[in-house]
Amino acid sequence: MVQLLFFMAAIGAIGGALAVVLLRNPFFSVLALVVHLMALSVLFLLLHAEFLAAAQLIVYAGAVMVLYVFVVSYVGGADELLAEAGVARKLAPVFGVVLLFAFSLAIGGSALKALDTRGADLPAGFGSPAQIGELLLTRFLLPFEIASFLLTIAAVGAVLLARRRRGLEEVDDVSGDGGVV
Amino acid sequence: MTAAAATIAAPVAEVGFNEPVLAQILIAVIVFAVMLQLVPMLLIAERKLLGRFQGRYGPNRVGPFGALQPLVDIVKLAAKEDFAPRTASKAVFVIAPVIALFTAIATTAIIPFGDTRSDGLFGADYGLYGIDVSIGILYAFAFGAIAFYGLMLGGWASGSKYSFLGAMRSAAQLISYELAAGLSLIGVVMMSGSLSLTAIVREQSDMWFVVPQFAGFLIFTIASFAETNRAPFDLVEADAELVAGYQTEYGGMRFASFMMAEYMNMITFSGIATAMFLGGWHGPGPGWLDPFWVLAKMIGFLILFIWVRATLPRLRYDQLMSFGWKVLVPLATLNLVVTAILVVAL
Repeated sequence: MVQLLFFMAAIGAIGGALAVVLLRNPFFSVLALVVHLMALSVLFLLLHAEFLAAAQLIVYAGAVMVLYVFVVSYVGGADELLAEAGVARKLAPVFGVVLLFAFSLAIGGSALKALDTRGADLPAGFGSPAQIGELLLTRFLLPFEIASFLLTIAAVGAVLLARRRRGLEEVDDVSGDGGVV
Repeated sequence: MTAAAATIAAPVAEVGFNEPVLAQILIAVIVFAVMLQLVPMLLIAERKLLGRFQGRYGPNRVGPFGALQPLVDIVKLAAKEDFAPRTASKAVFVIAPVIALFTAIATTAIIPFGDTRSDGLFGADYGLYGIDVSIGILYAFAFGAIAFYGLMLGGWASGSKYSFLGAMRSAAQLISYELAAGLSLIGVVMMSGSLSLTAIVREQSDMWFVVPQFAGFLIFTIASFAETNRAPFDLVEADAELVAGYQTEYGGMRFASFMMAEYMNMITFSGIATAMFLGGWHGPGPGWLDPFWVLAKMIGFLILFIWVRATLPRLRYDQLMSFGWKVLVPLATLNLVVTAILVVAL
Protein backbone atom coordinates (compact mmCIF):
# COMPACT_ATOMS: atom_id res chain seq x y z
CA MET A 1 0.00 0.00 0.00
CA VAL A 2 2.75 2.43 1.02
CA GLN A 3 4.88 1.41 -1.96
CA LEU A 4 1.94 1.79 -4.33
CA LEU A 5 1.16 5.24 -2.97
CA PHE A 6 4.82 6.20 -3.16
CA PHE A 7 5.18 5.27 -6.81
CA MET A 8 1.88 6.91 -7.75
CA ALA A 9 2.92 10.10 -5.97
CA ALA A 10 6.45 9.99 -7.37
CA ILE A 11 5.20 9.57 -10.93
CA GLY A 12 2.68 12.34 -10.33
CA ALA A 13 5.35 14.66 -8.98
CA ILE A 14 7.84 14.07 -11.79
CA GLY A 15 5.19 13.98 -14.50
CA GLY A 16 3.60 17.15 -13.18
CA ALA A 17 6.94 18.93 -13.03
CA LEU A 18 7.78 17.87 -16.59
CA ALA A 19 4.35 18.93 -17.82
CA VAL A 20 4.82 22.40 -16.32
CA VAL A 21 7.82 22.93 -18.58
CA LEU A 22 6.64 21.06 -21.66
CA LEU A 23 3.02 22.14 -22.04
CA ARG A 24 2.43 25.09 -24.39
CA ASN A 25 -0.81 26.31 -22.86
CA PRO A 26 0.03 28.32 -19.70
CA PHE A 27 -3.26 27.36 -18.05
CA PHE A 28 -2.44 23.66 -18.33
CA SER A 29 1.09 24.39 -17.10
CA VAL A 30 -0.36 25.89 -13.94
CA LEU A 31 -2.67 22.89 -13.52
CA ALA A 32 0.31 20.57 -13.94
CA LEU A 33 2.06 22.50 -11.18
CA VAL A 34 -0.99 21.93 -8.97
CA VAL A 35 -0.81 18.20 -9.69
CA HIS A 36 2.89 18.27 -8.85
CA LEU A 37 2.26 20.02 -5.52
CA MET A 38 -0.49 17.56 -4.60
CA ALA A 39 1.80 14.63 -5.37
CA LEU A 40 4.46 16.24 -3.16
CA SER A 41 1.96 16.47 -0.31
CA VAL A 42 1.25 12.75 -0.67
CA LEU A 43 5.02 12.15 -0.39
CA PHE A 44 5.08 14.27 2.78
CA LEU A 45 2.23 12.15 4.12
CA LEU A 46 4.24 9.00 3.47
CA LEU A 47 7.12 10.55 5.43
CA HIS A 48 4.81 10.93 8.47
CA ALA A 49 4.67 14.69 8.05
CA GLU A 50 0.89 15.18 8.08
CA PHE A 51 1.02 18.79 9.08
CA LEU A 52 3.43 19.57 6.28
CA ALA A 53 1.21 17.70 3.81
CA ALA A 54 -1.86 19.67 4.85
CA ALA A 55 0.08 22.94 4.90
CA GLN A 56 1.40 22.17 1.43
CA LEU A 57 -2.13 21.70 0.12
CA ILE A 58 -3.64 24.68 1.93
CA VAL A 59 -0.85 27.17 1.25
CA TYR A 60 0.37 26.13 -2.21
CA ALA A 61 -2.57 24.42 -3.89
CA GLY A 62 -5.15 26.46 -2.00
CA ALA A 63 -3.69 29.94 -1.98
CA VAL A 64 -0.62 30.47 -4.15
CA MET A 65 -1.76 28.41 -7.12
CA VAL A 66 -5.26 29.85 -6.92
CA LEU A 67 -3.73 33.26 -7.65
CA TYR A 68 -1.72 31.77 -10.52
CA VAL A 69 -4.86 30.21 -11.98
CA PHE A 70 -6.65 33.50 -11.49
CA VAL A 71 -4.01 35.52 -13.32
CA VAL A 72 -3.31 33.02 -16.11
CA SER A 73 -6.95 32.49 -16.97
CA TYR A 74 -7.49 36.26 -17.12
CA VAL A 75 -4.48 37.37 -19.11
CA GLY A 76 -2.66 34.29 -20.40
CA GLY A 77 -3.86 33.33 -23.84
CA ALA A 78 -2.67 30.04 -25.33
CA ASP A 79 -1.95 31.74 -28.66
CA GLU A 80 0.42 34.32 -27.20
CA LEU A 81 3.90 34.14 -28.64
CA LEU A 82 6.79 33.43 -26.34
CA ALA A 83 9.12 36.34 -25.68
CA GLU A 84 11.96 36.98 -28.10
CA ALA A 85 15.09 35.02 -27.34
CA GLY A 86 17.07 37.29 -25.04
CA VAL A 87 20.14 36.83 -22.90
CA ALA A 88 18.13 35.02 -20.23
CA ARG A 89 16.80 32.59 -22.81
CA LYS A 90 20.34 31.76 -23.96
CA LEU A 91 21.67 31.34 -20.43
CA ALA A 92 18.79 29.09 -19.32
CA PRO A 93 20.24 25.80 -20.67
CA VAL A 94 23.55 26.53 -18.94
CA PHE A 95 21.83 27.01 -15.61
CA GLY A 96 19.76 23.90 -16.25
CA VAL A 97 22.84 21.75 -16.82
CA VAL A 98 24.59 23.21 -13.74
CA LEU A 99 21.50 22.52 -11.59
CA LEU A 100 21.24 18.97 -12.92
CA PHE A 101 24.91 18.41 -12.07
CA ALA A 102 24.46 19.80 -8.55
CA PHE A 103 21.39 17.69 -7.86
CA SER A 104 23.05 14.57 -9.24
CA LEU A 105 25.96 15.16 -6.87
CA ALA A 106 23.64 15.70 -3.93
CA ILE A 107 21.54 12.62 -4.69
CA GLY A 108 24.57 10.44 -5.35
CA GLY A 109 26.35 11.72 -2.24
CA SER A 110 23.61 11.52 0.37
CA ALA A 111 20.20 10.31 -0.69
CA LEU A 112 21.32 7.02 -2.25
CA LYS A 113 23.12 6.04 0.95
CA ALA A 114 19.74 5.60 2.62
CA LEU A 115 18.75 2.84 0.21
CA ASP A 116 18.16 -0.51 1.93
CA THR A 117 18.05 1.11 5.35
CA ARG A 118 15.01 1.66 7.53
CA GLY A 119 15.58 5.41 7.47
CA ALA A 120 15.85 7.67 10.48
CA ASP A 121 14.02 6.68 13.65
CA LEU A 122 10.81 8.59 14.19
CA PRO A 123 10.28 9.86 17.73
CA ALA A 124 6.71 9.72 19.02
CA GLY A 125 4.63 12.62 17.78
CA PHE A 126 7.00 13.33 14.91
CA GLY A 127 5.56 15.78 12.43
CA SER A 128 2.55 16.55 14.60
CA PRO A 129 1.31 20.15 14.68
CA ALA A 130 2.25 20.44 18.37
CA GLN A 131 5.86 19.46 17.76
CA ILE A 132 6.25 21.69 14.72
CA GLY A 133 4.76 24.60 16.65
CA GLU A 134 7.16 24.01 19.52
CA LEU A 135 10.15 23.90 17.17
CA LEU A 136 9.02 27.06 15.38
CA LEU A 137 8.73 28.98 18.63
CA THR A 138 11.92 27.71 20.27
CA ARG A 139 14.69 26.44 18.04
CA PHE A 140 13.68 28.20 14.84
CA LEU A 141 12.20 31.31 16.43
CA LEU A 142 14.48 33.79 14.65
CA PRO A 143 13.96 32.45 11.09
CA PHE A 144 10.25 32.15 11.82
CA GLU A 145 10.00 35.76 12.97
CA ILE A 146 12.13 37.02 10.08
CA ALA A 147 9.90 35.15 7.62
CA SER A 148 6.75 36.62 9.16
CA PHE A 149 8.33 40.09 9.06
CA LEU A 150 9.19 39.59 5.39
CA LEU A 151 5.62 38.52 4.61
CA THR A 152 4.24 41.56 6.41
CA ILE A 153 6.50 43.82 4.35
CA ALA A 154 5.37 42.05 1.18
CA ALA A 155 1.69 42.47 2.10
CA VAL A 156 2.11 46.17 2.89
CA GLY A 157 4.10 46.64 -0.29
CA ALA A 158 1.41 44.92 -2.36
CA VAL A 159 -1.26 47.19 -0.91
CA LEU A 160 0.89 50.27 -1.60
CA LEU A 161 1.57 49.23 -5.20
CA ALA A 162 -2.10 48.56 -5.84
CA ARG A 163 -3.10 51.86 -4.20
CA ARG A 164 -0.78 53.92 -6.38
CA ARG A 165 -2.63 52.91 -9.53
CA ARG A 166 -5.65 55.03 -10.28
CA GLY A 167 -9.03 53.40 -10.22
CA LEU A 168 -9.22 51.85 -6.80
CA GLU A 169 -10.58 55.04 -5.20
CA GLU A 170 -13.34 55.19 -7.78
CA VAL A 171 -14.38 51.64 -7.00
CA ASP A 172 -14.57 52.55 -3.32
CA ASP A 173 -16.81 55.52 -4.13
CA VAL A 174 -19.21 53.31 -6.07
CA SER A 175 -19.54 50.91 -3.17
CA GLY A 176 -20.70 53.79 -0.98
CA ASP A 177 -23.94 54.81 -2.68
CA GLY A 178 -24.91 51.54 -4.34
CA GLY A 179 -25.27 53.15 -7.75
CA VAL A 180 -23.91 50.28 -9.81
CA VAL A 181 -25.94 49.58 -12.91
CA MET B 1 -4.17 -10.77 12.93
CA THR B 2 -1.98 -12.17 10.19
CA ALA B 3 1.06 -10.37 8.87
CA ALA B 4 -0.63 -9.54 5.57
CA ALA B 5 -3.61 -7.99 7.29
CA ALA B 6 -1.26 -6.04 9.53
CA THR B 7 0.48 -4.42 6.58
CA ILE B 8 -2.81 -3.48 4.97
CA ALA B 9 -4.15 -2.07 8.21
CA ALA B 10 -1.00 -0.11 9.02
CA PRO B 11 -1.91 3.53 8.83
CA VAL B 12 -0.23 5.68 6.23
CA ALA B 13 -0.37 8.68 8.52
CA GLU B 14 -0.56 9.29 12.24
CA VAL B 15 -4.04 8.43 13.51
CA GLY B 16 -5.50 8.26 17.00
CA PHE B 17 -5.56 4.47 16.85
CA ASN B 18 -6.09 1.79 14.29
CA GLU B 19 -9.19 -0.38 14.00
CA PRO B 20 -9.34 -3.81 12.38
CA VAL B 21 -9.80 -3.69 8.60
CA LEU B 22 -13.35 -5.01 8.82
CA ALA B 23 -14.35 -2.29 11.25
CA GLN B 24 -12.72 0.36 9.09
CA ILE B 25 -14.60 -0.75 5.99
CA LEU B 26 -17.91 -1.12 7.82
CA ILE B 27 -17.66 2.29 9.48
CA ALA B 28 -16.61 3.91 6.21
CA VAL B 29 -19.59 2.40 4.40
CA ILE B 30 -22.03 3.45 7.13
CA VAL B 31 -20.71 7.02 7.32
CA PHE B 32 -20.73 7.27 3.52
CA ALA B 33 -24.27 5.87 3.24
CA VAL B 34 -25.69 8.14 5.93
CA MET B 35 -23.99 11.24 4.52
CA LEU B 36 -25.12 10.43 1.00
CA GLN B 37 -28.70 9.87 2.12
CA LEU B 38 -28.71 13.31 3.72
CA VAL B 39 -28.36 14.94 0.29
CA PRO B 40 -31.79 14.02 -1.19
CA MET B 41 -33.39 14.60 2.21
CA LEU B 42 -31.83 18.03 2.28
CA LEU B 43 -33.03 18.70 -1.29
CA ILE B 44 -36.65 17.95 -0.50
CA ALA B 45 -36.46 19.68 2.90
CA GLU B 46 -35.08 22.80 1.24
CA ARG B 47 -37.80 22.90 -1.41
CA LYS B 48 -40.60 22.21 1.06
CA LEU B 49 -39.30 24.74 3.58
CA LEU B 50 -38.68 27.39 0.92
CA GLY B 51 -42.24 26.84 -0.21
CA ARG B 52 -43.56 27.31 3.31
CA PHE B 53 -41.40 30.38 3.90
CA GLN B 54 -42.85 31.88 0.73
CA GLY B 55 -46.47 30.98 1.53
CA ARG B 56 -46.83 28.12 -0.97
CA TYR B 57 -46.80 24.33 -0.75
CA GLY B 58 -43.57 23.35 -2.45
CA PRO B 59 -43.37 20.04 -4.34
CA ASN B 60 -46.32 17.82 -3.34
CA ARG B 61 -47.11 15.63 -6.35
CA VAL B 62 -44.59 12.76 -6.30
CA GLY B 63 -45.02 10.35 -3.44
CA PRO B 64 -46.44 11.22 -0.02
CA PHE B 65 -46.07 15.00 0.56
CA GLY B 66 -43.81 15.13 -2.50
CA ALA B 67 -41.14 13.19 -0.62
CA LEU B 68 -40.01 11.29 -3.72
CA GLN B 69 -39.34 14.46 -5.70
CA PRO B 70 -35.49 14.32 -5.34
CA LEU B 71 -35.48 10.70 -6.53
CA VAL B 72 -37.44 11.66 -9.64
CA ASP B 73 -35.16 14.66 -10.22
CA ILE B 74 -32.04 12.52 -10.00
CA VAL B 75 -33.45 9.88 -12.35
CA LYS B 76 -34.31 12.65 -14.82
CA LEU B 77 -30.78 14.08 -14.62
CA ALA B 78 -29.18 10.66 -14.93
CA ALA B 79 -31.18 9.94 -18.07
CA LYS B 80 -30.02 13.13 -19.78
CA GLU B 81 -27.34 13.33 -22.43
CA ASP B 82 -23.80 14.14 -21.25
CA PHE B 83 -23.52 17.29 -23.24
CA ALA B 84 -20.38 19.42 -23.64
CA PRO B 85 -20.36 22.69 -25.58
CA ARG B 86 -18.19 22.95 -28.71
CA THR B 87 -15.96 25.59 -27.12
CA ALA B 88 -15.32 23.45 -24.05
CA SER B 89 -11.97 21.97 -23.13
CA LYS B 90 -13.28 18.40 -22.98
CA ALA B 91 -11.01 16.57 -20.54
CA VAL B 92 -11.05 19.38 -17.98
CA PHE B 93 -14.79 19.81 -18.50
CA VAL B 94 -15.36 16.17 -17.56
CA ILE B 95 -12.98 16.06 -14.61
CA ALA B 96 -14.17 19.25 -12.88
CA PRO B 97 -17.39 17.84 -11.36
CA VAL B 98 -15.44 14.75 -10.27
CA ILE B 99 -13.00 16.92 -8.32
CA ALA B 100 -15.85 18.87 -6.73
CA LEU B 101 -17.71 15.74 -5.65
CA PHE B 102 -14.62 13.83 -4.52
CA THR B 103 -13.37 16.59 -2.24
CA ALA B 104 -16.84 17.18 -0.82
CA ILE B 105 -17.27 13.52 0.11
CA ALA B 106 -13.70 13.04 1.34
CA THR B 107 -14.10 15.83 3.86
CA THR B 108 -17.05 14.11 5.54
CA ALA B 109 -14.65 11.46 6.87
CA ILE B 110 -13.51 13.58 9.81
CA ILE B 111 -16.93 14.40 11.23
CA PRO B 112 -17.13 12.54 14.56
CA PHE B 113 -20.46 10.82 15.26
CA GLY B 114 -19.43 9.41 18.61
CA ASP B 115 -16.54 8.70 20.93
CA THR B 116 -14.36 5.61 20.66
CA ARG B 117 -16.17 2.51 21.90
CA SER B 118 -14.67 -0.51 23.60
CA ASP B 119 -17.73 -2.78 23.86
CA GLY B 120 -15.92 -5.47 21.91
CA LEU B 121 -18.16 -5.32 18.82
CA PHE B 122 -15.19 -5.74 16.49
CA GLY B 123 -12.91 -7.32 19.05
CA ALA B 124 -11.12 -4.01 19.49
CA ASP B 125 -11.74 -0.36 20.18
CA TYR B 126 -13.45 1.50 17.39
CA GLY B 127 -14.55 5.07 16.82
CA LEU B 128 -17.77 6.30 15.28
CA TYR B 129 -16.10 8.41 12.60
CA GLY B 130 -14.25 7.93 9.34
CA ILE B 131 -10.79 8.92 10.55
CA ASP B 132 -9.31 10.80 13.47
CA VAL B 133 -6.21 12.47 12.07
CA SER B 134 -3.77 14.43 14.17
CA ILE B 135 -4.08 17.42 11.86
CA GLY B 136 -7.86 17.28 12.35
CA ILE B 137 -9.52 20.36 10.99
CA LEU B 138 -6.61 21.11 8.64
CA TYR B 139 -7.67 18.00 6.73
CA ALA B 140 -10.96 19.70 5.92
CA PHE B 141 -9.18 22.85 4.79
CA ALA B 142 -6.74 20.87 2.66
CA PHE B 143 -9.62 19.30 0.76
CA GLY B 144 -11.38 22.65 0.70
CA ALA B 145 -8.31 23.97 -1.10
CA ILE B 146 -8.65 21.29 -3.78
CA ALA B 147 -12.43 21.76 -4.01
CA PHE B 148 -11.79 25.21 -5.43
CA TYR B 149 -10.34 23.62 -8.58
CA GLY B 150 -13.63 21.81 -9.22
CA LEU B 151 -15.48 25.10 -9.55
CA MET B 152 -12.64 26.96 -11.23
CA LEU B 153 -11.92 24.30 -13.86
CA GLY B 154 -15.63 23.80 -14.48
CA GLY B 155 -16.04 27.49 -15.22
CA TRP B 156 -12.88 27.80 -17.27
CA ALA B 157 -13.35 24.64 -19.33
CA SER B 158 -16.91 25.52 -20.30
CA GLY B 159 -15.64 28.09 -22.79
CA SER B 160 -18.43 30.49 -21.91
CA LYS B 161 -18.08 33.97 -20.47
CA TYR B 162 -20.85 33.47 -17.91
CA SER B 163 -19.23 30.30 -16.63
CA PHE B 164 -15.84 32.01 -16.57
CA LEU B 165 -17.11 35.05 -14.67
CA GLY B 166 -18.88 32.77 -12.20
CA ALA B 167 -15.71 30.77 -11.67
CA MET B 168 -13.69 33.96 -11.17
CA ARG B 169 -16.13 35.16 -8.56
CA SER B 170 -15.96 31.81 -6.81
CA ALA B 171 -12.15 32.01 -6.79
CA ALA B 172 -12.07 35.37 -5.08
CA GLN B 173 -14.92 34.50 -2.74
CA LEU B 174 -13.48 31.17 -1.60
CA ILE B 175 -10.04 32.63 -0.81
CA SER B 176 -11.55 35.55 1.07
CA TYR B 177 -13.88 33.55 3.26
CA GLU B 178 -11.67 30.53 3.83
CA LEU B 179 -9.36 32.86 5.74
CA ALA B 180 -12.18 34.07 7.99
CA ALA B 181 -13.49 30.53 8.52
CA GLY B 182 -10.02 29.26 9.43
CA LEU B 183 -9.30 32.13 11.80
CA SER B 184 -12.66 31.68 13.55
CA LEU B 185 -11.88 28.02 14.22
CA ILE B 186 -8.43 28.70 15.71
CA GLY B 187 -10.12 30.12 18.81
CA VAL B 188 -11.73 26.72 19.45
CA VAL B 189 -8.44 24.96 18.71
CA MET B 190 -6.64 27.14 21.26
CA MET B 191 -9.28 26.52 23.94
CA SER B 192 -9.25 22.76 23.47
CA GLY B 193 -5.51 22.47 22.82
CA SER B 194 -6.00 20.01 19.97
CA LEU B 195 -6.70 20.00 16.26
CA SER B 196 -8.43 16.62 16.34
CA LEU B 197 -12.20 16.96 16.08
CA THR B 198 -12.85 14.07 18.47
CA ALA B 199 -10.57 15.62 21.11
CA ILE B 200 -12.33 18.95 20.61
CA VAL B 201 -15.75 17.33 21.15
CA ARG B 202 -14.46 15.54 24.29
CA GLU B 203 -13.41 18.94 25.67
CA GLN B 204 -17.00 20.16 25.36
CA SER B 205 -18.53 17.74 27.88
CA ASP B 206 -19.08 20.58 30.38
CA MET B 207 -19.80 23.48 28.09
CA TRP B 208 -20.24 23.73 24.34
CA PHE B 209 -17.69 26.01 22.71
CA VAL B 210 -20.51 28.06 21.21
CA VAL B 211 -20.81 29.82 24.60
CA PRO B 212 -17.22 31.06 25.10
CA GLN B 213 -16.58 31.27 21.35
CA PHE B 214 -19.85 32.88 20.30
CA ALA B 215 -18.13 35.45 18.08
CA GLY B 216 -16.14 32.66 16.45
CA PHE B 217 -19.34 30.70 15.89
CA LEU B 218 -21.05 33.65 14.20
CA ILE B 219 -18.03 34.31 11.97
CA PHE B 220 -17.77 30.64 11.06
CA THR B 221 -21.50 30.47 10.25
CA ILE B 222 -21.32 33.50 7.96
CA ALA B 223 -18.13 32.26 6.33
CA SER B 224 -19.64 28.81 5.79
CA PHE B 225 -22.56 30.39 3.92
CA ALA B 226 -20.00 32.02 1.65
CA GLU B 227 -17.82 28.92 1.36
CA THR B 228 -20.75 26.79 0.22
CA ASN B 229 -21.96 29.47 -2.21
CA ARG B 230 -25.28 29.77 -0.45
CA ALA B 231 -27.53 32.80 -0.28
CA PRO B 232 -26.91 35.60 0.59
CA PHE B 233 -23.43 34.91 -0.83
CA ASP B 234 -24.48 32.93 -3.92
CA LEU B 235 -22.95 35.42 -6.36
CA VAL B 236 -21.04 32.57 -7.88
CA GLU B 237 -24.27 31.38 -9.44
CA ALA B 238 -26.30 34.57 -9.36
CA ASP B 239 -29.12 33.54 -11.68
CA ALA B 240 -30.04 37.02 -12.80
CA GLU B 241 -26.58 38.14 -13.97
CA LEU B 242 -24.57 34.99 -14.59
CA VAL B 243 -27.30 32.49 -15.55
CA ALA B 244 -25.86 29.86 -13.20
CA GLY B 245 -22.21 30.76 -12.86
CA TYR B 246 -19.61 28.05 -13.33
CA GLN B 247 -22.25 25.36 -13.92
CA THR B 248 -24.10 27.16 -16.72
CA GLU B 249 -22.91 24.79 -19.45
CA TYR B 250 -23.31 21.64 -17.40
CA GLY B 251 -26.25 19.29 -17.74
CA GLY B 252 -27.28 15.81 -16.74
CA MET B 253 -25.25 13.98 -14.11
CA ARG B 254 -22.35 16.42 -14.34
CA PHE B 255 -24.64 19.20 -13.24
CA ALA B 256 -26.06 16.85 -10.60
CA SER B 257 -22.51 16.19 -9.35
CA PHE B 258 -21.92 19.89 -8.84
CA MET B 259 -25.23 20.25 -7.03
CA MET B 260 -24.49 17.22 -4.91
CA ALA B 261 -21.03 18.55 -4.08
CA GLU B 262 -22.61 21.82 -2.97
CA TYR B 263 -25.06 20.03 -0.71
CA MET B 264 -22.33 17.72 0.61
CA ASN B 265 -20.31 20.82 1.45
CA MET B 266 -23.26 22.21 3.39
CA ILE B 267 -23.52 18.92 5.28
CA THR B 268 -19.77 18.90 5.97
CA PHE B 269 -19.78 22.46 7.22
CA SER B 270 -22.73 21.75 9.50
CA GLY B 271 -20.87 18.67 10.75
CA ILE B 272 -17.76 20.75 11.48
CA ALA B 273 -19.86 23.41 13.19
CA THR B 274 -21.52 20.68 15.27
CA ALA B 275 -18.19 19.21 16.33
CA MET B 276 -16.36 22.49 16.89
CA PHE B 277 -19.07 24.62 18.50
CA LEU B 278 -22.25 22.67 19.26
CA GLY B 279 -20.85 19.94 21.48
CA GLY B 280 -20.74 17.16 18.88
CA TRP B 281 -22.21 13.96 20.30
CA HIS B 282 -22.84 15.40 23.78
CA GLY B 283 -26.49 15.40 24.75
CA PRO B 284 -28.83 13.88 27.31
CA GLY B 285 -29.77 10.23 27.02
CA PRO B 286 -27.90 6.92 26.81
CA GLY B 287 -24.68 6.46 24.87
CA TRP B 288 -26.23 4.92 21.77
CA LEU B 289 -28.02 8.22 21.12
CA ASP B 290 -24.70 9.96 20.40
CA PRO B 291 -24.75 9.65 16.58
CA PHE B 292 -28.36 10.81 16.56
CA TRP B 293 -27.46 13.91 18.56
CA VAL B 294 -24.81 14.73 15.98
CA LEU B 295 -27.32 14.22 13.16
CA ALA B 296 -29.97 16.30 14.95
CA LYS B 297 -27.55 19.19 15.47
CA MET B 298 -26.37 18.96 11.87
CA ILE B 299 -29.95 19.05 10.59
CA GLY B 300 -30.63 22.07 12.79
CA PHE B 301 -27.66 23.85 11.26
CA LEU B 302 -28.80 22.84 7.76
CA ILE B 303 -32.25 24.31 8.41
CA LEU B 304 -30.47 27.54 9.34
CA PHE B 305 -28.85 27.45 5.89
CA ILE B 306 -32.28 27.12 4.24
CA TRP B 307 -33.86 29.72 6.51
CA VAL B 308 -31.18 32.28 5.69
CA ARG B 309 -31.60 31.56 1.98
CA ALA B 310 -35.31 32.23 2.22
CA THR B 311 -34.85 35.40 4.26
CA LEU B 312 -31.89 37.44 3.07
CA PRO B 313 -31.41 39.12 -0.33
CA ARG B 314 -28.19 38.56 -2.25
CA LEU B 315 -25.25 40.90 -1.62
CA ARG B 316 -23.60 42.91 -4.33
CA TYR B 317 -20.16 41.62 -5.31
CA ASP B 318 -18.10 44.53 -3.93
CA GLN B 319 -20.14 44.39 -0.71
CA LEU B 320 -19.31 40.72 -0.43
CA MET B 321 -15.59 41.40 -0.81
CA SER B 322 -15.43 44.36 1.53
CA PHE B 323 -17.55 42.49 4.10
CA GLY B 324 -15.20 39.53 3.99
CA TRP B 325 -11.94 41.46 4.19
CA LYS B 326 -12.90 44.54 6.19
CA VAL B 327 -15.36 43.06 8.67
CA LEU B 328 -15.03 39.28 9.02
CA VAL B 329 -11.23 38.91 8.89
CA PRO B 330 -10.51 41.72 11.41
CA LEU B 331 -13.28 40.42 13.70
CA ALA B 332 -11.90 36.89 13.49
CA THR B 333 -8.39 38.18 14.22
CA LEU B 334 -9.68 40.16 17.21
CA ASN B 335 -11.50 37.06 18.47
CA LEU B 336 -8.25 35.13 18.06
CA VAL B 337 -6.19 37.67 20.02
CA VAL B 338 -8.74 37.91 22.84
CA THR B 339 -8.99 34.12 23.06
CA ALA B 340 -5.21 33.78 23.13
CA ILE B 341 -4.90 36.30 25.97
CA LEU B 342 -7.70 34.63 27.95
CA VAL B 343 -6.33 31.12 27.40
CA VAL B 344 -2.89 32.18 28.67
CA ALA B 345 -4.25 34.30 31.52
CA LEU B 346 -6.83 31.82 32.90
